[in-house]
Amino acid sequence: FFSSLMKLGSSTITTESLQPVMEQMKNHLIEKNVAADIAEKLCDSVAESLKGKSKGTFSTLSAVVRESLQAALTKILSPSRRLDILRDIKKAQSEKRPYSMVFCGVNGVGKSTNLAKICFWLLSNNVRVLIAACDTFRAGAVEQLRTHCRKLVAIHGELPDGRDRVKLYERGYGKNDAEIAQTAIKFARDEGYDVVLIDTAGRMQDNEPLMRSLAKLMEVNKPDLVLFVGEALVGNEAVDQVSNFNKSLQNYGGKDPRTIDGIVLTKFDTIDDKVGASISLTYTTGQPIVFVGTGQNYSDLKTLNAQSVVQMLLK
Amino acid sequence: DAIRHMSNSTVIDEEVLNAMLKEICTALLESDVNIKLVQKLRTNIRSLIDFDEMASGLNKRRIIEKAVFNELCNLVDPNVKPWTPTKGKQNVIMFVGLQGSGKTTTCTKLAYHYQRKGWKACLVCADTFRAGAFDQLKQNATKARIPFYGSYTEADPVVIAADGVEKFKKEHFEIIIVDTSGRHKQEDSLFEEMLQVSNAVEPDNIIFVMDASIGQACEAQARAFSDKVDVGSVIVTKLDGHAKGGGALSAVAATKSPIVYIGTGEHIDDLEPFQTRPFISKLLGRGDIKGLLDK
Ligand SMILES: Nc1nc2c(ncn2[C@@H]2O[C@H](COP(=O)(O)OP(=O)(O)OP(=O)(O)O)[C@@H](O)[C@H]2O)c(=O)[nH]1
Ligand SMILES: Nc1nc2c(ncn2[C@@H]2O[C@H](COP(=O)(O)OP(=O)(O)OP(=O)(O)O)[C@@H](O)[C@H]2O)c(=O)[nH]1
Ligand SMILES: [Mg+2]
Ligand SMILES: [Mg+2]
Repeated sequence: FFSSLMKLGSSTITTESLQPVMEQMKNHLIEKNVAADIAEKLCDSVAESLKGKSKGTFSTLSAVVRESLQAALTKILSPSRRLDILRDIKKAQSEKRPYSMVFCGVNGVGKSTNLAKICFWLLSNNVRVLIAACDTFRAGAVEQLRTHCRKLVAIHGELPDGRDRVKLYERGYGKNDAEIAQTAIKFARDEGYDVVLIDTAGRMQDNEPLMRSLAKLMEVNKPDLVLFVGEALVGNEAVDQVSNFNKSLQNYGGKDPRTIDGIVLTKFDTIDDKVGASISLTYTTGQPIVFVGTGQNYSDLKTLNAQSVVQMLLK
Repeated sequence: DAIRHMSNSTVIDEEVLNAMLKEICTALLESDVNIKLVQKLRTNIRSLIDFDEMASGLNKRRIIEKAVFNELCNLVDPNVKPWTPTKGKQNVIMFVGLQGSGKTTTCTKLAYHYQRKGWKACLVCADTFRAGAFDQLKQNATKARIPFYGSYTEADPVVIAADGVEKFKKEHFEIIIVDTSGRHKQEDSLFEEMLQVSNAVEPDNIIFVMDASIGQACEAQARAFSDKVDVGSVIVTKLDGHAKGGGALSAVAATKSPIVYIGTGEHIDDLEPFQTRPFISKLLGRGDIKGLLDK
């Protein structure tokens, strides 16, 4: 679509000349599944930055806009802060305590599955993992993790000294999730597990009782890492989901609340080039996409390639 | 919002219409309606409104309001009668959809719904892929006292589906619901498996289950499901949250199937019949537009 906007003209960029280009660009981003109001804000800020500038004789307006947008998108996807989970685990080890990670998000986005994939990755890095089954609500949630655990044991086996590399900590259904997480972390400390992966029940971001209970879990357990799991399929809801999870954790999480540290973007294999949710989520939180889920097998876990995502967005 | 804004302005002209359409289109885009549908809607409305032919004053406003609302209602109405089961017959219903869209949960809700209305209903778990899938269906069904069929050992969903449906047909169940694994168009083998399950159980109705929060990827996925198997109905789940469910318009267009129910929670009775007008009102970002229209 950018090629349709070729027009060589005067060299000062005006709001009027930008308007049609920006409108098309906004629609293009929406078509790529960027949330509508974020597409708008992004285009506004690009337009603002270009206004009054001179565009040089040999470049078209669309080329200038494209370049500026590309830079803006790349910046959004490039975290200012790098998370190094393996390093942080080592640090916790040296403090003789388990490193704990909580997976949260709305219903059905892939929390439990990607927890299992991350477990697989940790096991491959010789880390001992305890999985805490803190979704005590959804039917089959415990058995789902038990099945993953069994499969992971079959793949990775035991340690040379006969201790297990991975174990499921479960207390069945209908129980207090914050308490299970707490006793799981204590168990991990006693038994020498390096990491505790805490699965939580899916919940709608505007369900106050459930959001309060998640904040409680965070307050009680002060996890080292809070991962928000969102699916790449999500449209405009991306913004509301992640901002309200963060807001609730902030508001209901006690004196020193734990909020979202990073994002797991799942089902990236189901969206072709409609990769806009990655922008909606990172633009809204300013937090990095730590993992990308690209399928239903344990190895389908990648890191985000900002460059190729930006390329797909502009294509 | 757009329509109220309209009512307050005294002069209706092109400019106001354009502003109104812009606001409406923004609301629709923010509700995840497919952008191509939104653009088409805008053109349709523009061509429907002829200022010269209109009478003066309030009448014009109402004509525009009605045009927008009706156009949207048309988009969720595929003009086919929804499939309904026949009493005393063995009605087989197969659920399909993307991963995590809410199939298994909605299967039980629907079986429970029929059971309460006095039908003999049951469930077949043809998902052998997802970890814990059979346990999930089993726990849901047990709680609702709905007979179910599944296997921990058989790995082929086609075999389970065929066996389960055969067994329940023999036992004269009237509503036999087959749950299947989540899948997506990018993986051929999963789509091929869906076709085989469908061929094995010859469903009377195939329901496409979609998550209300899905964005612009909905259209291509819904179309692909519909191209592969004979989708006859749509259920939109998770409408208890903040999501408006604008993707449903694409699902209806792509599958040429009506929306029959909506999911409004995780509990077994959180299933409601689909109603066009409240759904469209919500898409437009309004609580209820009915008062305006009935004037
Ligand atoms: N294609 C694809 N499917 C995925 C991916 N991640 C998860 N899934 C599938 O999505 C479905 C839901 O995954 P779960 O892990 O159960 O999701 P959840 O967030 O734990 O769900 P609840 O606990 O019910 O809220 C399953 O069928 C997974 O196999 C992914 O990256 N790609
Ligand atoms: N809030 C809410 N949650 C729902 C609704 N329908 C389903 N869910 C939840 O969504 C999640 C996924 O539902 P499932 O029924 O497991 O989805 P599925 O399509 O069978 O998933 P796969 O078999 O993995 O493809 C679960 O946490 C459900 O409780 C709904 O209408 N509202
Ligand atoms: Mg889960
Ligand atoms: Mg299922």
